[in-house]
Amino acid sequence: MSLLVLGANSLIAQCTAECFAKDKHEIIFAGRNAGQMQKLANDFEIRFQCKAYGIEFDALDYNSHKTFLENVLKLIPQVDYVLLAFGYLGEQTKANEGFDESKKIIETNYTGAVSIIHLFASHFESQRKGNIIIISSVAGDRGRQSNYLYGSAKAGLSAFAQGLRSRLFKSGVHVLTVKPGFVDTPMTYGMPLPKLLVASPKKVGKDIYKAALKKKNILYTPFYWRFIMMIVKSIPEFIFKKLKL
Amino acid sequence: MKFYEDTLSGFGKDPRVKCKVIAPNEFKQLPELVNGETIIPRGLGRSYGDASINENNFVLSSTLLNKFISFDEAKGILHCESGVSYEDILNAFVHRGWFPAVTPGTKYVTMGGAAASDVHGKNHHNEGGFSNFLLSFKIVLANGEMKHCSRQDNSHLFWATVGGMGLTGFITEVEIQLKKIETPFINHKAIKVNNIEKLFEEFEKHDDDFIYSVAWVNISAKGRSLGKSLLLLGNHASEKELPSSFAKKKINLEKKLPVPLELPSFTLNNLSIGIFNSLYYMFSSNKNKFIHYDKFFYPLDSIMNWNNVYGKRGFLQYQFIISPEHGLEAMKKILNKLIEHNAFSFLSVLKKMSDQKGLLSFPFRGYTLAMDFPKTEKVLLMCKELDKIVLYYGGRTYLTKDSTLDEPTFKKMYDGNWQEWIELKKKYDPKNRFNSNLARRVGLCLS
Repeated sequence: MSLLVLGANSLIAQCTAECFAKDKHEIIFAGRNAGQMQKLANDFEIRFQCKAYGIEFDALDYNSHKTFLENVLKLIPQVDYVLLAFGYLGEQTKANEGFDESKKIIETNYTGAVSIIHLFASHFESQRKGNIIIISSVAGDRGRQSNYLYGSAKAGLSAFAQGLRSRLFKSGVHVLTVKPGFVDTPMTYGMPLPKLLVASPKKVGKDIYKAALKKKNILYTPFYWRFIMMIVKSIPEFIFKKLKL
Repeated sequence: MKFYEDTLSGFGKDPRVKCKVIAPNEFKQLPELVNGETIIPRGLGRSYGDASINENNFVLSSTLLNKFISFDEAKGILHCESGVSYEDILNAFVHRGWFPAVTPGTKYVTMGGAAASDVHGKNHHNEGGFSNFLLSFKIVLANGEMKHCSRQDNSHLFWATVGGMGLTGFITEVEIQLKKIETPFINHKAIKVNNIEKLFEEFEKHDDDFIYSVAWVNISAKGRSLGKSLLLLGNHASEKELPSSFAKKKINLEKKLPVPLELPSFTLNNLSIGIFNSLYYMFSSNKNKFIHYDKFFYPLDSIMNWNNVYGKRGFLQYQFIISPEHGLEAMKKILNKLIEHNAFSFLSVLKKMSDQKGLLSFPFRGYTLAMDFPKTEKVLLMCKELDKIVLYYGGRTYLTKDSTLDEPTFKKMYDGNWQEWIELKKKYDPKNRFNSNLARRVGLCLS
């Protein structure tokens, strides 16, 4: 049993991997900083006495993705779970002013994800098994003026995951879409968020692990975000556009 | 360098100040400091007062620097980053037969914080403090240089840094010796003691048969019951003595009773008595000889955010130590003082200590009592009176808990040691770049 983490610098990803490691999975940590990935793998080997590897992966270097897949399969011939955890929140105001920031947000959250996940999707399809876990965001459920660039990229990712889920269903490959709310990670450090709504990455990691085992389709984590987003989505547009969200 | 603004406090929740926080997951360099800006390392923020805050200046958080680097399974030597917590170590190593050699009363303390406070546990009188088992560490100095410190290498810096409240530099990695255990259980004994004299006798009596000892004192007991307490003793249970039913026991360590919101202040008086009674009951009525380490060492950790019970105004800890010669006399005086002031403490803990080598390490051979109080004007005035008694008997208070000490009192309490420490500060941090609210308050910085 094995898990590949794409974007393993993410605290949510590390906490999810922790659950898999405790359940005796081999883990491959992939991310931009090879040294960091190696360090993480080393930590897991000591902490959980599991087998772990750290390798380099750049979501934006699309041309490298095919070789990356081959390298992963050389390390672990059978990957059971792929966890897509990389993402870039960016700054909406910066994105409003210049295309560079917008491009980075779109490419990291959407294009990069499509490129690498499609490769694994086809691989799993041919194997007729495998699980893909895609960390999207509640921000993709409705565009808000404060972060609609990130939101729109995540909306694209959610729709991508949805379509992929149907496509792979007949091959016995499962796709889980994860929509976390506010989580206490470096992505949100220093943001003025309502404390009671900020979840710990450990809790979110556990939720993801459980949902993956149960082969859930869409996971809101913590669970109450399903209801929060239901309300947010139900506000009529002519009112919503006037809100300062 | 990327930072974010946050309002931080110690565990006592007061004072709360604005700080610029940096939380790297890889240590690259110290932030660029301009115009006299300063920095203080911070782990999980469990020091009670103002040791890990630095108003309008930088705080360098170690919480994401929490990776294990290596573990020597034969010798029990763990090499890890400074943000690794007791919880991390317990979760990873107890089932493999290793335990932290010295542990404070909460597992939410990082190794960097443990070193900077030179923390102590229930075995201090027998086995010493954290630094006794700290083999070496790496520290980044104010000039950006990384130094390896141990009893052999840079030993002056080693002894200035343990107990040095993060003011000599930023510890990035530590190497610690763990202790071999056979089971996760403690063979314990709870003795009800009627007064302080009896308590001191019992402490002495059990010195040799139990490595862990601590007493919870009911500080509302007066007169002939002054110092009425529950003495809790313990040893790591061996495999042989542990009944087989225990080996199979499943322990859920994650169940917690949360105190998510700050309680109104008026609940406190009743609550404090309630907590004492419930702990008292929990241990004294426990017919089992064996209890899980988590209950024995970390009873308060099972109440998440228990610091919220004091409400918005926050609270303070007062922990002092007095030599064995004056211990009994001083304790009586202080307990009577508390009664005089009608001061209630959530939990009052008395224990024995031995000498400790760090320049600013708190312990020396004697008896220590730790208490907590709501932070009110009345309590602050009382602490000044307590300071006088402690000073009179040649004692001192614990910087990690402290939030009331003034500079002259601190310097009298740590006389001889602070001067030596300041000399080393001049050498390793001449521009005073490591600084905190605590350092400014008690004069642990260069003027």
